[in-house]
Amino acid sequence: MHVDPLEKRWLYVVGGIVAFTIAVQVYYAAAKGIHPPSNVQTIDSAKLHLSKEFAENNLGVHKNTDGSLDVTMVAARYGFYPQEIEVPIDTPVRLRIASLDVLHGLLVPYSNLNLMVVPGYISEANTTFTKLGEFPMICNEYCGIGHDYMYARVRVVPKNN
Amino acid sequence: MNRSITLVGVAALIAMSTSSFANEHGASKARADAPSTEVAWTPETLALIRSGNAQKGSQLANEQMCASCHGHAGIAQSNNWPSLAGQRAEYTYKMLQDYKNGSRNTYPLMTVLAKPMSDQDMADIAAFYASFKLPPVPVGTVIDKALADKAELLVMKGDGNRLLAPCMSCHGYKGEGNVVDVPAMAGQTPEYFIRTMQDYKTGKRSNDVYSRMRLMAHSLSDQEIIELANYYANLTQ
Repeated sequence: MHVDPLEKRWLYVVGGIVAFTIAVQVYYAAAKGIHPPSNVQTIDSAKLHLSKEFAENNLGVHKNTDGSLDVTMVAARYGFYPQEIEVPIDTPVRLRIASLDVLHGLLVPYSNLNLMVVPGYISEANTTFTKLGEFPMICNEYCGIGHDYMYARVRVVPKNN
Repeated sequence: MNRSITLVGVAALIAMSTSSFANEHGASKARADAPSTEVAWTPETLALIRSGNAQKGSQLANEQMCASCHGHAGIAQSNNWPSLAGQRAEYTYKMLQDYKNGSRNTYPLMTVLAKPMSDQDMADIAAFYASFKLPPVPVGTVIDKALADKAELLVMKGDGNRLLAPCMSCHGYKGEGNVVDVPAMAGQTPEYFIRTMQDYKTGKRSNDVYSRMRLMAHSLSDQEIIELANYYANLTQ
């Protein structure tokens, strides 16, 4: 089969771009622990506030007996609730979040937290915050005209605090 | 003649509500762990509200004497009460349910009135008020344009530092409300607007799911609330 040399060169270039893109994703998945949400528990978003886990007085940071933390949150237009969470540094955190209305996202810089929050599902992720300070938790899925105002704060504090 | 019947009725209702207030007050402590509202926007609830019959709602509103405070066409008689004309049916329905279930306790008379209503009655009344246009600038209200203009930045841009999303992102550019139960505020009486925001701020009113409005009101200064009240009263369609 005859392939024009110019065409061949472009095939290599395009093939290279595809291979590079996949390699970047594999690197981040394997080395940085960034995964798409794998937990597919379902929940009725319309009745979220009437459920046990996402009831209004159950949101926030809960401490487990082994010292790890469970964080329960809700994403709703246009905010994350609670609006501010405080977690100690170098402590395993399991985040569980559900949406009250439409598709939202959740991203915390300097961590592996980057989730889609799909209505009808509970999104779960495990992380450990390794940098002290205050970080924004931002919505990265367009959810409506208030989308760019949708964020919360994560305060990472010293361990003995 | 008609007027005197109304007056007697209102006086009786106020007397009933005063006695019920004592009961509600005792129950409010037990409610601390209860959800902010029992209403959930399931397909069944939404279908029920869509099935609301405005004509039946008009009759019910007559029987319940809604007009004595909220006006014959849903435009409040006095600046102390909310106008309901053009309000989203979902919002009116939710408020009636919240009064009935005790999720909203801001005005005991409304609890007394909502108690005997069926879900269908509430859907009908909600449909009746939703059938009107949003109210014009409330009669007898002098809008302070300078104050209203000051609110525009908050309405359109919000304040990121205080985690305040712009008002219009939920309540609409023209204060017309939004799906599902975000209330319309255009033409609302300023006194009622201010009282509502103060009730959210102090937590006296707590039927907003996940404290969404309470958190907003808490971040607003008293002056900003007055500015917003002037802005929305003047936002005639």
